[in-house]
Amino acid sequence: MAEQGENMNKSDSTSEPNQDELILAQQRQIEKEISDSIPLVGDKELITSLNNEYSADNIYLEKVRDLATKYKFIRRTRPDGNCFFRAFSYANIERLLGKPDEFEAFYKVAENSKDGLVKLGFQQLTVDDFYDTYMEVLKRLKNIENLSEAYKELHSVFNEQGFSDYMVVYLRLLTSGQLQKEHDFYSCFIEGDRTVADFCHQEVEPMYKESDHIHIIAACAALQTGVKVIYMDRGIGKACTEHDLPEGTSPTVHLLYRPGHYDILYQ
Amino acid sequence: MSLESKYNLKSPGVKRLMREAIELANPTEEYYACPLEDNLFEWHFTVRGPPGSDFENGYYHGRILLPSQYPMQPPNIILLTPNGRFEVNKKICLSISGHHPESWQPSWSIRTALLALIAFMPTPAAGTIGSLDYTPEERQILAKKSKNWVCSTCGRISEKLSTGQEGPELTKEESSLIKQIALKAEEDANKKEPQRNVEASGEERQSNETGEVRRRIVDGETEGVSSNDAGVRENLNQSNSKDTLWKIVMWLIIAMISFLVTRRLFFL
Repeated sequence: MAEQGENMNKSDSTSEPNQDELILAQQRQIEKEISDSIPLVGDKELITSLNNEYSADNIYLEKVRDLATKYKFIRRTRPDGNCFFRAFSYANIERLLGKPDEFEAFYKVAENSKDGLVKLGFQQLTVDDFYDTYMEVLKRLKNIENLSEAYKELHSVFNEQGFSDYMVVYLRLLTSGQLQKEHDFYSCFIEGDRTVADFCHQEVEPMYKESDHIHIIAACAALQTGVKVIYMDRGIGKACTEHDLPEGTSPTVHLLYRPGHYDILYQ
Repeated sequence: MSLESKYNLKSPGVKRLMREAIELANPTEEYYACPLEDNLFEWHFTVRGPPGSDFENGYYHGRILLPSQYPMQPPNIILLTPNGRFEVNKKICLSISGHHPESWQPSWSIRTALLALIAFMPTPAAGTIGSLDYTPEERQILAKKSKNWVCSTCGRISEKLSTGQEGPELTKEESSLIKQIALKAEEDANKKEPQRNVEASGEERQSNETGEVRRRIVDGETEGVSSNDAGVRENLNQSNSKDTLWKIVMWLIIAMISFLVTRRLFFL
């Protein structure tokens, strides 16, 4: 939408100087409505709650029925373009709670992740900033002994805009770092004549940019965690399509993809 | 620091701004910025005009407004010193400023924004909102005048920058990023120019362009030039003609003296 505003301004900047601002204002209004009505990360709900969204759509209802045989719960995230990163980050930490050894192993991975980013040329000051908050959250959660307390704290941290967005940014940076580190491999998946670095600056690092396959594979590699994505759309067939990413790993995080959006699934 | 009691230090955004304030606390030769005493979300900055440009030796002062969601949302830059490249008192249109929030990245900083601003000043205005197309002469005069410009909050701005204190070295990422921003504007300008080339030879094109600029000044508001800047420009033209008047008077006096001297020598 903002892009559209930009184009209009190029052609018509003199007679309608406020068009750009009007569009941005409208966009902000829509964003505000979404943020007022949908929490960043919602509560666990029964998978059958999906039926309410598709009460008049037989294709989807059929697929929800199929989904319900494999998964019991869904946790919705806010559709703000960051949903994959937020959902993945949340579900990944959630699965570690109550498993001190695995949490410790992941903590080590996270702890060693910063130097690679600085080596790639990211600004030390801002990388430090995101890293420190990311590690602070992990440490806080790691040290809570009571499991239900830990779940509660995770949920509240991810619904506090400031912290929640910081978790998203750091995962975006790690994803960008992974893509750039392995640029020979990933360059095959990038359309157009963009370099991997360009792609990262335009599609990975900015907030609110939606995620594609390539983002997911790189994010999984960066966190050394496998993801199963269940694709649910109006395509032919009664069952949803499944993908384990990266291929061949046993997934520990399960996400539901509907065109343009990711939510968390629980077995 | 009084700021510390006023804000929630646990909030990542506040922590971030404190971090940036510490990083920028020592003025460098090119830029200096610090938060207002009573508001962490509004900063004032001074940058030096880039050497080798019409802005060389100029000092440019302005405000940085930080959204409550910073660094997720970009800072807004407002220039206060008349400069002939950007309108004053208006949020300006860098590709990393608030008019294009989709290209901002949280891993950039206020420092990145200032460096981009400096790099962007000599690029063609190309009709972007908030941009001005003043002639090199006019920009040079404004640069000269900027030395005496005073901010009501910060005082004389030419004293804000250090001499000989270089900022931290740019990382590869930063310098390529800053170049990218300057490039984008050039690309846009280039797209327009070849079309004109077809119709007009170089000289004609130049006169076309100045004609365009004049028209824009005449049309004032409707063409997107705020009355404020039109005023600056009027002043500028006045002082320009004042300068020429003085030149003529000087030459007259010199001619008179040499005439008197020659008369004295030869006709005694």
